[in-house]
Amino acid sequence: MDPRRIKLTVAEAYGQVARAASQDTCCRPAGSCCGPADRVADVPAEAIASFRGCGNPVAIAALRPGQVVLDLGSGGGLDVILAARQVGPTGAAYGLDLSADMTRLARRNAALAGAENAAFLRGDLEAIPLRAGSVDVIISNCVLNLTPDKARALFEAFRVLKPGGRLILSDIMVDPDLSGFPLDERTIRSALSWAGCVAGALTAGQYRALLEAAGFRAPNIELNYRYSPADLTAETPAVLSRLAPAVLADLASRFASATITAYKPV
Amino acid sequence: MKRDLMEILACPVCKGELELTVEQEDEKEIIKGSLYCKNCNETYPIEDGIPNLLPPNLR
Repeated sequence: MDPRRIKLTVAEAYGQVARAASQDTCCRPAGSCCGPADRVADVPAEAIASFRGCGNPVAIAALRPGQVVLDLGSGGGLDVILAARQVGPTGAAYGLDLSADMTRLARRNAALAGAENAAFLRGDLEAIPLRAGSVDVIISNCVLNLTPDKARALFEAFRVLKPGGRLILSDIMVDPDLSGFPLDERTIRSALSWAGCVAGALTAGQYRALLEAAGFRAPNIELNYRYSPADLTAETPAVLSRLAPAVLADLASRFASATITAYKPV
Repeated sequence: MKRDLMEILACPVCKGELELTVEQEDEKEIIKGSLYCKNCNETYPIEDGIPNLLPPNLR
């Protein structure tokens, strides 16, 4: 698929989630969502229902009052609302998302949650509409895998961070690779949906190389939860359903949720 | 969007400054208007309080 087509497909799929018309973007292995229940206390139900993350970057971001936070692919706004509370009235939390429906939903959720220091922008994380050095912390929850040009996205993240700024991502990773199956990697990836978060997933080695190429220091990648066949997609694509159950289980287990951290040198 | 957002917004394409035009504003924020990039001669709309800063090829 060409990059523009991928972005429009992803925006449409998640727009349907925002309109509560689809559950079919499940972007996480069971167990990876969403952290302890107190994480989502006093947050609008719509922000939780539309949540499609695969981790909890806000929890490990150790945000401080006064900081500026940017969430890449902010969806229904859950992580932005939580970040806005942590940085307080002297700070700000911004959410960037491709989808008009998602930014509208997120804005409504933030208003309901009383998060006056939260704001949402419609835009592409490969072309972030912010000035260089304007953000203390970038978070993103299961979104980088959705974007076709990850090198460009990480370069942009690096650009908008202040010196010493930090990047904290949850994402889906391939581990260790997609070799050793009766189908080649290209066939496997094209059978999986981009919107479902696995087709565009990188290996840890690829992720680390892209982070370093963008200028980030001390990239750290921790795998959290591995997929089971049930997590792979709501309906297993035909070309994969012909695999023996043990092979399909092996294939599913090559995908895992992960936490990625790195910082921009001072 | 609040006016102070202008301090960090940039054109998604050239990263240059944007000129704000307000059509509708309440006590808190700008509800409708536009952001214009002189370098690119491109206008980005603000609708329902949300700036649409998608690059032109994705709109």
